[in-house]
Amino acid sequence: MSRFLEVVVAAATLLAIPAAAHAQDATAGEKVFAKCKACHMVGDSARNRIGPHLNELFGRTAGTIEGFNYSKAMKEAGASGLVWDEETLGHFLANPRASVKGTRMAFPGLKDEGDVSDLTAYLKRFSKQADTAPAEEASAPVVEPEARAEGKAPTPEEKTAIVRPIPTHGVLHLGRPATEQEITAWDIDVRPDGLGLPEGSGTVMEGEPLYTERCASCHGDFGEAIGRWPVLAGGFDTLTRERPVKTIGSYWPYLSTVYDYIRRAMPFGDARSLTDDEVYALTAYVLYLNDVVTDQEFELSKENFTSIELPNEDGFVVDDRLSEPHYAEAADPCMRNCKPGKAKITMHAAVLDVTPEDGNEDEASGGSID
Amino acid sequence: MTEMKSSRRSFLKGGLTAGAAAAAAAVSGRAMAEGDPAITEVQDWNRYLGDGVDARPYGHPSQYESHVVRQDVPWLTADPISSVNFTPLHELDGIITPNGLCFERHHAGIADIDPAQHRLMINGLVETPLVFTMGDLMRFPRENHVYFLECAANSGMEWRGAQLNGCQYTHGMVHCVMYTGVRLKHLLREAGVKESAKWLLAEGADASAMTRSLPLEKGLEDCLVAWKMNGEALRPEQGYPLRLVLPGWEGNMWVKWLRRIEVGDKPWHQREETSKYTDLLANGKARRFTWVMDVKSVITSPSPQAPITHGKGRAVLTGLAWSGNGAISRVDVSLDGGRNWTTARLDGPSFSKALHRFYHEFDWDGSELFLQSRAIDEKGFVQPTKNELRAARGENSIYHNNGIQTWHVAKDGAVENVEIS
Repeated sequence: MSRFLEVVVAAATLLAIPAAAHAQDATAGEKVFAKCKACHMVGDSARNRIGPHLNELFGRTAGTIEGFNYSKAMKEAGASGLVWDEETLGHFLANPRASVKGTRMAFPGLKDEGDVSDLTAYLKRFSKQADTAPAEEASAPVVEPEARAEGKAPTPEEKTAIVRPIPTHGVLHLGRPATEQEITAWDIDVRPDGLGLPEGSGTVMEGEPLYTERCASCHGDFGEAIGRWPVLAGGFDTLTRERPVKTIGSYWPYLSTVYDYIRRAMPFGDARSLTDDEVYALTAYVLYLNDVVTDQEFELSKENFTSIELPNEDGFVVDDRLSEPHYAEAADPCMRNCKPGKAKITMHAAVLDVTPEDGNEDEASGGSID
Repeated sequence: MTEMKSSRRSFLKGGLTAGAAAAAAAVSGRAMAEGDPAITEVQDWNRYLGDGVDARPYGHPSQYESHVVRQDVPWLTADPISSVNFTPLHELDGIITPNGLCFERHHAGIADIDPAQHRLMINGLVETPLVFTMGDLMRFPRENHVYFLECAANSGMEWRGAQLNGCQYTHGMVHCVMYTGVRLKHLLREAGVKESAKWLLAEGADASAMTRSLPLEKGLEDCLVAWKMNGEALRPEQGYPLRLVLPGWEGNMWVKWLRRIEVGDKPWHQREETSKYTDLLANGKARRFTWVMDVKSVITSPSPQAPITHGKGRAVLTGLAWSGNGAISRVDVSLDGGRNWTTARLDGPSFSKALHRFYHEFDWDGSELFLQSRAIDEKGFVQPTKNELRAARGENSIYHNNGIQTWHVAKDGAVENVEIS
């Protein structure tokens, strides 16, 4: 049989199978439903009892039958988008309390996967929306066609091949578990307590040529910066001045931020191109430019990293804007005669024309955005 | 007109507009006798055919609106790749910012991401670290919300006094759109946040790999992971295909090109929350984790880029107000530099943590005006004056300048950014 034909036959078989398979399953499912009857009803005379009635269950958003006293958990699951279908119901029936934490349904769940699938098939009889086979069945993995073509009942292995593996995480079971390799590839952040630092080391001496080659064109040979690129070094005791110079040495609270930032975003335009050891060496060199270390032989490593403190670590306070007088003492604002005399201009806009043609570069002293 | 000629180009623009208005007035004078040629003569668009439906598959504004664009100020930053441009607030109305006019701020250029290759990872202190595709995210329950986004450094150039002549430059690092996305709490619940978790780290996929720490409570409260703005896909410069939305909080935290949320028990102290986006006070100490954007407003017209060109008589003053604390309850305007105030008319929808539009219609007698607006939010916070802010913080904070703005309207209708007594 050609590959093409195989697929066609397989598809045709799959489309033909569900009705027969469900008919058989549903009969078995009726017996399984005996375990549910104490609380749930289906059929013409069904009403809510200890549990909600299960007519038109497929396509119903969880926790939405009016007048039934659902658990908070079930209502929230519905509000989050839990809609009953073959997959969600199968997952719930297998372990109700794990699936919807806080559900009032005391039933511990059906241990046998066959029972679950039989029961859902039975319940579908009472839901109009479930009459048409869901599209996902047609796109399910193709199974060996021969056995089906001869009308034999599917073996247990074939049944599991049709049923998609039921994800167990979360509430809606969306997304997939991340692999260790994936997390390692992206999770490169470093915290002040050293969490996230990679193995490795680098010295001031190793950092110097790297810095000259990769960093100095913007940050200057001594961290003094070219143009408006960030100044990296110096600026000590300037934070209370009219023009503070905020550098790694004068302003940054933690060395981990230096390592983290070089590693994730530098050099500008060629991020992630430095090795972990090179980042250690550059971080050591920046410490040297700021006189935090003075020995050219100094080696920064994962082991000694958290022993380095930056001068301005204690220079930061919590957000206390609300204690400022204009907020703390807020009263009804003045509406009439709020200030004496006529308004007089004390300062005009320094930069009347913000477009660059007429040499406004000098006006940059007026302020900055960053 | 001599006063206008002596000033620089933004005034000239105003002058030209005023000249055009004068010409129109002359025409309407003649029209008394002969009729306005705009009416009496058959116009080209009234005679000849226009473009067909196949000419503009993605529509764009009229050619007569080509001046309504974002503008940058090259000297502000070292390089346009890591820089900012400004929303033309003076040309807009209502509360929604058109997608193509939302100001841009990025730190390593606009990432160009194939959504089929985009992933969102949740890792750290969770039961199951997860990876979502864009398709996975769209299977979560969606919500639509209108929020303003303001850069913490909006008006940051004005701390030391009046600097830039136009509300586009003084206040244009704000925009307001409707986002469509999923609540971050749903994604976190899917991964199962562990008991010890207190903080989140959001990370972008661009070449700056932008990162910010935020408290878990905010993530569970109202944060969205969004993929649409104003009904269509996020613009690349706004984070296509995915961005974080933190209603009412400073724009830098709304990480664009969002690829990862890490759950942890302490903040990470990343570059943009230590070296940047910390508010240096006069005493040399700096506030950190200053997230909320305070109550603020600005008159968008008249303003330096939108002078009064019609002369004396009926005039419309309009502007925007917003607060990270919730909805705006009231806006007052003053025409005399804060001596006397009148409550303006708020119009249009009022959404929490969104822009609000206000109007004040008045008869202008042709005398000089000092225009100010003062917003009050639903929590009762009143927009402070710039001098109140300077008294409390000094002039080196850069961020969170929500002081009251003054526009001077000269007798000829030209408008300038000033500070007053």
